[in-house]
Amino acid sequence: MAVTDTDYSDLPKESPVGEPLDWAWLRGVRSEWGVRPKPGPRGLTMMDIAVGDYGEVPDRPAHRSMAPRGADIEGETPDMGYILNKKSDVWAENVRELYEEAVARQCSATRDIPWGDLQELPDDVEHAICQVCTTLAEVEMIASDLPAKWMWRMNHDFLEAKMFLCTQIMDEARHSEVFRKRALANGGGLLKSRAGPSSLLRTIIEAKTYTQATALMHLLGEGFVLDLFRQGELIAPGPVEKKIFRMAMQDEARHVAYGTMHIRYAIEQDPDVADEIHAALDHGEMVLTEFGTSPDLGSALAVLLAGGVEHVEDKGFPMQGELIAKQFTSYLARCERAGISRLDRTEIPLDLLGIDPEKIRAMVA
Amino acid sequence: MTHVDTIELFDGMAKEMNTHPERFTPLGELELDLVCVMRSPRETERVRLVFDGLRCRVLASVEGDERGADCWLDGDVAAWRDMFDDIRAHGAATGGYTLNSLTLLGERIRLGGADPMGVDKFSRFNQSLQEFFDGAARLHLAAV
Repeated sequence: MAVTDTDYSDLPKESPVGEPLDWAWLRGVRSEWGVRPKPGPRGLTMMDIAVGDYGEVPDRPAHRSMAPRGADIEGETPDMGYILNKKSDVWAENVRELYEEAVARQCSATRDIPWGDLQELPDDVEHAICQVCTTLAEVEMIASDLPAKWMWRMNHDFLEAKMFLCTQIMDEARHSEVFRKRALANGGGLLKSRAGPSSLLRTIIEAKTYTQATALMHLLGEGFVLDLFRQGELIAPGPVEKKIFRMAMQDEARHVAYGTMHIRYAIEQDPDVADEIHAALDHGEMVLTEFGTSPDLGSALAVLLAGGVEHVEDKGFPMQGELIAKQFTSYLARCERAGISRLDRTEIPLDLLGIDPEKIRAMVA
Repeated sequence: MTHVDTIELFDGMAKEMNTHPERFTPLGELELDLVCVMRSPRETERVRLVFDGLRCRVLASVEGDERGADCWLDGDVAAWRDMFDDIRAHGAATGGYTLNSLTLLGERIRLGGADPMGVDKFSRFNQSLQEFFDGAARLHLAAV
């Protein structure tokens, strides 16, 4: 209990307009007074202030209000309608660090991309990058909509997880922005949008639980897109597009890191959760494969990898096949790390892609 | 003359980072433990880079140390030399000589890690890491 030696007994009992006053907050409360966390070289981080009771995140919070965790909370608090009231529903051990990282590493699609350096491209290449940007502008925003759908349902004691998801929402808004801007900025425009991506996006947004949703979005969808952004080195027709992919890649990797470690935490706390995650990924992998091999995105990526339509068959498609194998290898390795091994269950044609499950097992062992 | 597979070059890059945080501030802090493995017929050298915030510490490293790092970059000395030559020639890595490009197909320098989360840190902090290596262009050391 916070204790004060100062005598405040002479303070008024009523406000100037006659309202009753309560000075309990001044006389001492049950919260931890005087913890005084020390700022580190970077300033005062969320890790620095996770001290004493303030740093303790309960497995099952007693309240369902927006009262700040660690405050002196009255017995009767309003129920905000939270349905994610177990820490394992949303938590990841790295979530505080990821929040600080996200805040420190924000960029601007307006200011930090050298838009003035865009170069005139051959017609087929401009069309291809515009098609890729069209698809990305469409799918990126799902990673804003999905956390927004669930955040108001998360118990407020899991504040750091909600704060991190706020940064993800901002990141994905920026990704939608930057790909839309690129589609328009060099004399091209937005191209084809078909049912394929919508089917994937509906699968993600309609997931029945948050943990299923995060498996579909963070682990599967964003993992796939993260590797696509890494491949921007080969896909991008010029330095401006390379910069776009590099900046987006850094953001996407944080989201994947949260999702992977959230799933790991959820399974560690309740191994039965693995079944529902597997069920979601069984379906998710199928629709993601349809999305990844869709006629628009797939062919546009192959054209970019080939540097134009002329070599799309002898260079573009073979290179694309190699990169898809890398994407699925990364995804399956992350699943191992998350504690949800898919190697004996997945319907992804590992043989066809040349993926050796034993190598993935050995990688993570 | 400084050989690329010696700690002197990496010490120089770390000093460049530690004395010029303004280059890294816009990119944000990083938290990464990375081992560079440089192989030649005569021997294999390892250098450990520990990034904390906007600072870097360079540590001599021995065989197997990379397993304890977040991730590692592993390639022939010739590949590392080509990368540094490109950085010195252009002031920063270009085209196929960026870290991301080199490791994407992994034909000459391979990105490895014992934990996929550690490997993904390479993506999370990629632009800071690239800025660190690009610092070699500003050193008064000729890397050979």
